[in-house]
Amino acid sequence: MDSVNRFGPELILLAMAAVIILADIGWALAGTGAERMRRPALGALALTGTAASIIWSALLIAFDEQGEAFSGMIRVDDFALFFNFLFAGTAAIVILASIDFLRRNRFVAEYYALILASTAGMMLLASTIDLIAIFVALELTGISLYILVAFMKDGRSSEAGLKYLLLGAISSAVALYGMAYLFGITGSTSLDEIGLVVSEANGETRSALVLAMVFLIAGFGFKMAIVPFQMWVPDVYEGAPTPVTAFLSVGSKAAGFAVVMRIFLTALGDGSISSDWATVFAILAAISMSLGNITALVQGNIKRMLGYSSIAQAGTFLIGLAVVAAADPQLLLGTSAVLFFLGTYAFTNLGAFIAVIAISSKIGSDQIADYAGVAKRSPLLALGLTICLLSLTGIPPTAGFIAKVYVFNAAVQADLVWLAIVGVLNSVVAAYYYLRVVLNMYTAEPASEESIQPGYYLGLAMVVAVVGLLVIGIFPSPLLEASEAAARVFG
Amino acid sequence: MEDTGSIVAFWLLAALTLGSALAVVLIRDLIRAVVLLITSFLGVAGLYITLSADFVAVVQVLIYVGAISVLMLFAIMLTPRAGRNNAETFFRIPGILLAGLMAFTISLVSLDTDWAVVERGGFEETASAIGEALLDKYVLPFELAAVLLLVAMLGAILLVHPEGTDEE
Amino acid sequence: MAIELEHYLILGALLFSIGLYMALAKRNFVGVLMGIEMMFNAVNLTFIAFSRFPRFADMTDAERLSGHVFVIFVITVAAAEAAVALALAMLVYRNRETIDVDRMDLLKW
Repeated sequence: MDSVNRFGPELILLAMAAVIILADIGWALAGTGAERMRRPALGALALTGTAASIIWSALLIAFDEQGEAFSGMIRVDDFALFFNFLFAGTAAIVILASIDFLRRNRFVAEYYALILASTAGMMLLASTIDLIAIFVALELTGISLYILVAFMKDGRSSEAGLKYLLLGAISSAVALYGMAYLFGITGSTSLDEIGLVVSEANGETRSALVLAMVFLIAGFGFKMAIVPFQMWVPDVYEGAPTPVTAFLSVGSKAAGFAVVMRIFLTALGDGSISSDWATVFAILAAISMSLGNITALVQGNIKRMLGYSSIAQAGTFLIGLAVVAAADPQLLLGTSAVLFFLGTYAFTNLGAFIAVIAISSKIGSDQIADYAGVAKRSPLLALGLTICLLSLTGIPPTAGFIAKVYVFNAAVQADLVWLAIVGVLNSVVAAYYYLRVVLNMYTAEPASEESIQPGYYLGLAMVVAVVGLLVIGIFPSPLLEASEAAARVFG
Repeated sequence: MEDTGSIVAFWLLAALTLGSALAVVLIRDLIRAVVLLITSFLGVAGLYITLSADFVAVVQVLIYVGAISVLMLFAIMLTPRAGRNNAETFFRIPGILLAGLMAFTISLVSLDTDWAVVERGGFEETASAIGEALLDKYVLPFELAAVLLLVAMLGAILLVHPEGTDEE
Repeated sequence: MAIELEHYLILGALLFSIGLYMALAKRNFVGVLMGIEMMFNAVNLTFIAFSRFPRFADMTDAERLSGHVFVIFVITVAAAEAAVALALAMLVYRNRETIDVDRMDLLKW
C-alpha cells in the first residue's frame, strides 16, 4: 500500500486522463443536449487532476511519507517532491492557458489526457532510480509531446511533430546505448548499485565509463535542449501550438535536468568520472549560452526568439551542474542553484508564452515587428510581458535576478570564474533582444487602435505566473529553502 | 561457447546482419530496402539465440519482423505520390564521417576495456523468469508501458482522423 | 577462436553506426525510421550480450536477466514510436504530398 501511496501524485494524473477520455465518450453518447457543457467540464476535470496531484504531494510531505516504492523503482524524496510541485503547477497553468485555444477544437479530451500523461512521465523522471523505469518514463513523456506538437494537424504543426519525433527517437537510442554500457560495466540497472560499483571502479573500465557518460549527455542533452543537441528547438517551438510550446520549454526541459541530476549525482557522482562530466557541462554551458543568445539576436519571430533564449537559459542552468562536482560544500550549492533557477524559470517562461498566446491570437502574427504599440492596445498584457522579459534578462526585483546571482555566485565559489564572466557577458547580450521587444511595445506606433482583451482563463494564468515571479523576486527564501532541501538528497 | 557450430553460427549471422544492413543503406528502392531490413532483423534474432536469449529472440521476430517492418511497408504504400527513392541528403559526407568515428571509437573502447568476464554459461530458459520479473520487480515500468501504448494509440487515432480540428 | 563479449560489442557498434548514418543522412522518412530501428537493435544486442557475459560472479540469474527485461521494454516502446511516426508521416503527406525530410521547409531547419 505504501507503494501506491507514494506513487499517488502520478497515479492521480493518469487516472484523471482515463476519466477524461471516458467522460468524453459519455458526452458523445449523451447526444447534443449536453454538448455545451463538454469543454468546460473536461477542462475542470483536468485542472482538478493537477490540483489533486499537488495536494497529494503536499500530504506526502505533511505525513512524512517518503521513501522507496515498487521494489526500488522510484524514490519519493525532497528532490522528487520539488519536481512534483513544479510539473503539476506547470501543467495547471498550461491547461488554463489552453482553454481559449481549444474553444473550437474537436479533440479537447485527447489534448488534456496527453498533457496529464506527459506530466506524469515528467514527475516519474524526477523520482525513478532505475534505468528501466527511467527509459519508460522518458518515452511516455516524449511520445505524448510528439503528438501534442502535431496537434494542430496543419502543415507547420505536423512537420514540427515529425521532426521532433525523429530527432527524439535518435536521441533516446543514443541515451539507451549509454545505459547499455552502464549496465555492462556495473551489472545492474539500479542507480544506487551503479553508483556503488562506479565509486569502487579501477582503471580497467574507465574508457567504457567515459563512453557511457558521453552517450548519456548526448541523449539527455536533447531533452534539456543544450548546444549541440538543440537543432530541433526553433522549428518545434515555432510549429507547435503556443500552449504546447510553453509546456515544452518549461516541463520538458526541467524533466531533462531532473533526470540528468538523478543519474549523474547518484550513479556517476563518485570517483574521477564526476570531474569529467563537470568539465563537459562547463564547456557546453559556455557554448549554449553564447550560441543561443547570439542567434536569438537576429530572430524576427517571437516564438523562435524565446526558443533560442531558452537554449541560452539551459546553458545557465548547466553552470550549476558544472559546479556540482567540486568539493562537498559546493555539491549542495550547485544542485540547489539549478533547482532554484528551474523554479523561477518556470514562472518566467510560462508568463512570457501566455502573453504571446494572448497577443498573437489577437494580432494574428508571431512577428516581433507586429508587436509595435501593444502597450497602447493592452497596457496590462504589455506590462506582464515586460516583467517576464525583465526576469529573463535578470533585472531586480524579479525572480530571474536572484536566480542569476545565485548561479554566478556558485560558479565563483567553485573557482569557475571564467564561466561566471561568460554568463554575465551573455546576460548583457540577452538584455539587448529582450528589451528590444519591450521598447517596440511601448514606443512604436500601433497598427490599429483596437484593444486586446485576453480571455478570462488566459488572464488568470498570466496573473499567476507574473505574481509568482514577483513574489519569488521579493521573498525568495521559501523557494530557496525548498531547493536546498531537495539538493540535500544528494549530499 | 567452445564448439565449432556456435562459432560458425555467429560469423554467419553477423555477416547476414551487417550485410543486409549495408544493403539497406546502399539500395535505391525503398521497398527492397525494407525487405532487406527484415533479413537484418532476423539475423539479430539468430544472434539472440546464440546468446541463449530465446524469449527475446521470439519477441524480436514477432515485433520487429512482424509488426514494425509491416508498418514501414504501409508507410511507403500509403504515400503513393511521395518519392520511393532511398537517397541521401546533403548530409552524406558528414554522416559517413560521424558514423565512422562512432564505430571506431566504440570498437576501440570495447577492445580497450578489460571486461573480466566470469564464465557463467547460458540460461536454461528465460521466459518464466522474465515473466516473473515483469510482474514483480518491474511491475511499475510494465504498467507504464501499458499507459504508453494507450497514449500512442490515442495519438495515432487523433492524428490520422480524417476530420479537421475545427468543428464548425 | 571462441566468440567473446567483444565480438558482440563490435557488431553492435557497427550496426549502431550504420543506423546512425541512415537516421542522419537519408532523405525519405522511411529511410530515417529504418536507421532508428537499426540503432535500437544494436542497443538491444549490446544489452543481451552483457547479460550473457556478466562481469561479476555474484550476480544472480534474476539480475542478469534485467538486461533481457530492458530489451523487452525497448522493443515495446519502439513499436509504439513507430506507430506514432507512421501516423505523423500520413499527416505530413496529407498536407504536403511528400515525406522527404529535406523537403520539409515550412519551418527552416
